[in-house]
Amino acid sequence: MTDLLDIGIYAKQARAFITAGEKAGGLCQPDDRAFDQLARELFTLQFNRNESYRRFCQARDATPKDIGDWTQIPALPAAAFKHYELTWLPAAERTTVFYSSGTTARRSRHFHNAATLELYEISLLAWFQACMPGLGNGVRGRFISLTPPPTQAPHSSLAHMLGKAITVYGDAASEWTGGVDLAGGWVVNMEATAKALAKASAEGCPAAILGTAFSFVHLLDYAAEHRLVWKLPAGSAVMETGGYKGRSRALAKGALHAEISRLLGVPRGQIICEYGMCELSSQAYDRCPPPNAAPAGGLSAEERVFHFPPWARARIISPETGAPAGNGETGMIQIFDLANLSSVLAVQTEDLGVATPDGFRLLGRAAEAETRGCSLMAV
Amino acid sequence: MTLPNYFLVDLPAEASLTPMMVREAAKTLKHNRERYLAGRSTGGLIEFLANLGREWLQPDYPFRQMALALPHAQSGFSREILAAGLDQFFSRFTRENLLQWIEQELGQENRLDVFCASAPEKSGRRSSVAFGPAFQVHITSGNLPCPAFTSILSGLLLRSAQFVKGSSRSSALPRLLAHSIYDLDPKLGACLELAAWKGGHEALENALFEEADCVTATGSDDAIASIRKRVPAHTRFLGYGHRVSFSYITQRALAGAGGARLVPAAARDIIAWDQLGCLSPHVIYVEDPDGRTAEPFAARLAAELERREITEPRAAASTAVAATIANRRAFYEVRAAHSPDTRHWFSSKSTAWTVIYEADPLFQLSCLHRFIYVKSVKNTTELLQGVDPVRAVVSTIGLGVAEDQAPHLAAEFARWGAPRLCPIGQMQNPPLAWRHDGRPALAGLVSWSDWEN
Repeated sequence: MTDLLDIGIYAKQARAFITAGEKAGGLCQPDDRAFDQLARELFTLQFNRNESYRRFCQARDATPKDIGDWTQIPALPAAAFKHYELTWLPAAERTTVFYSSGTTARRSRHFHNAATLELYEISLLAWFQACMPGLGNGVRGRFISLTPPPTQAPHSSLAHMLGKAITVYGDAASEWTGGVDLAGGWVVNMEATAKALAKASAEGCPAAILGTAFSFVHLLDYAAEHRLVWKLPAGSAVMETGGYKGRSRALAKGALHAEISRLLGVPRGQIICEYGMCELSSQAYDRCPPPNAAPAGGLSAEERVFHFPPWARARIISPETGAPAGNGETGMIQIFDLANLSSVLAVQTEDLGVATPDGFRLLGRAAEAETRGCSLMAV
Repeated sequence: MTLPNYFLVDLPAEASLTPMMVREAAKTLKHNRERYLAGRSTGGLIEFLANLGREWLQPDYPFRQMALALPHAQSGFSREILAAGLDQFFSRFTRENLLQWIEQELGQENRLDVFCASAPEKSGRRSSVAFGPAFQVHITSGNLPCPAFTSILSGLLLRSAQFVKGSSRSSALPRLLAHSIYDLDPKLGACLELAAWKGGHEALENALFEEADCVTATGSDDAIASIRKRVPAHTRFLGYGHRVSFSYITQRALAGAGGARLVPAAARDIIAWDQLGCLSPHVIYVEDPDGRTAEPFAARLAAELERREITEPRAAASTAVAATIANRRAFYEVRAAHSPDTRHWFSSKSTAWTVIYEADPLFQLSCLHRFIYVKSVKNTTELLQGVDPVRAVVSTIGLGVAEDQAPHLAAEFARWGAPRLCPIGQMQNPPLAWRHDGRPALAGLVSWSDWEN
């Protein structure tokens, strides 16, 4: 049976798997065998140490001995993270916890210690660098983040991710213009944002604007009210993530991107969508190296193809049968994330998507209790 | 399906409606009502409705056949479920039931025809006559055709011209009913208009509301609130919003002579209209003070649902619905792995049916489509605590109780606020004269003229 030593060995192997791609300069090169081996190792570790997950797997007759390959690892529904502590970390060892956003009484939790957090950071940095334009080879970029800095939102995995990325890849003038109000809501300091955008424009310094969809809507509304528009230097980019969660008026993805492009002077091809969850340690972007890959610009929201890094994979599953969805069929998105060390590597999301040869298209969320006419209350 | 172009809903999908067209339609309807409907007798209309009901029950009736031939995506149901639902619905439209309905709600069978007096009126030397609204607008939604059908048929009985607005996905069956009315009596059909558009189209809806004497609406609470705001103050408005239902089975009923019948009866409530109506149960509560009754009941219910799926299959679920069910099932798998107080039974390789047993008495909204919770409670006190969060929105409680328990429990549930109590197995089969959401149907629509002589 495994013990703590095995966790360390696994973390080392996973680090090597992540960094191997970087060294080879080919992050998109999938390595099926290595992925399968690591996934099964991690599954075994988590099965042995995480009682909640073990019971779930045993009920499905899917123990490490039973599974043929990584695709048979049972995926936990995201909702379970709201009700159970799905981690093998003892309470005393949990140094960091991320909560899902949202307004429901229960939120998902993702616990870390120093070692598991380190693997999360290695994962997020490698794929952020690969997917954001203009980074790499030690180049530092200008970032303007509309999200709060991690010091203000210590339990947000998004704030942590952007905080880490800006610390490592940002230049000295990079800044956070987002913050947290007294009620805990995320707000954007519009004056500071306008100033930072003007500064980047004046300096001719390409900038990457990072934020949630609702923070961009707030920026659009502010700019409209004050008749502001910017023309950011060539090479500038936008990273947009998440939904609206009732925090702003909702715009369809295509309309949002068109508006952002018009406001900031950033071509739509330089607008990158991120798909991430508090329950995961890797993210998908709809822009993927190598740079000569098909550009995402001009595509509608549903045409945009998301890519996880080689150490995380998405499967599209028919909700009716539980088998992989057929070609072009919509299904539930399951994610298998080798960097998800402290919780569970296989997560069944509440999102719907369609598989493509090299990624997936995101079609939105399966509405809870979506019936016509009668039932509207949340569970 | 080829039907003549009698109604706006018959126009090609690309034809777009304008407020002007809607106003014109309203004027035509009112005109036609004056010519063809206002002068009809109640007896003649009852004869018509009973005849229509009989036709729809005939296996070879062309409109019934067309309804049963609709693809799932349009009818929303498998052929078997739709056939059973149509049978139950139209079998209520007998001459006797219609007369009793009028008498129940308006006191006298001929109340809609002439001045007449009930006993209290006689003693007060009074008489009265009731009139339906000249022009009714129905905003319909939902999976089930029954509310729209009832609106249309009761509107005819009240001699109202009617404009029925549905959504494109909920209009197929009302459209067939409208054509069947036209086919049997074109003059009555000319007092009816159907159209479909996405709810919330204010220009069209407001044009309609301005013409209406009465607006009825079924839908989500938000949709009802939005419509209510836009209906002119002098126009009568009847909104039917979000409602939920549950059942209660006592230990004695299960142990008694009729106990064996409770499982198929409970399955009938879940299977009827694929559990998609407000009258369908989300939860079946089982009285289980010693923890030995509810879980075996859930297991037997699961076996029954599995059997019935073969003969009365659920309609194919959309991906979003199937995903909701799959996620909910997976969640309960996790919960069951943690606690013996939760168990689950699923259809294999499909989302056709799901039974979740929980010892926790708190009411849970089902995701429907044959997804049922079975929950154990120690007694009615615990039951009423569990359902308290939905107290204001309960529609029906299905009762599986011993005969001598029934009066006491019915009184208790009525005091608690339940608008309708019925035997298990009958939840989706209310009588014609039932009071929807606790309110009278005909009496809520009419206006009275009192004569003090």
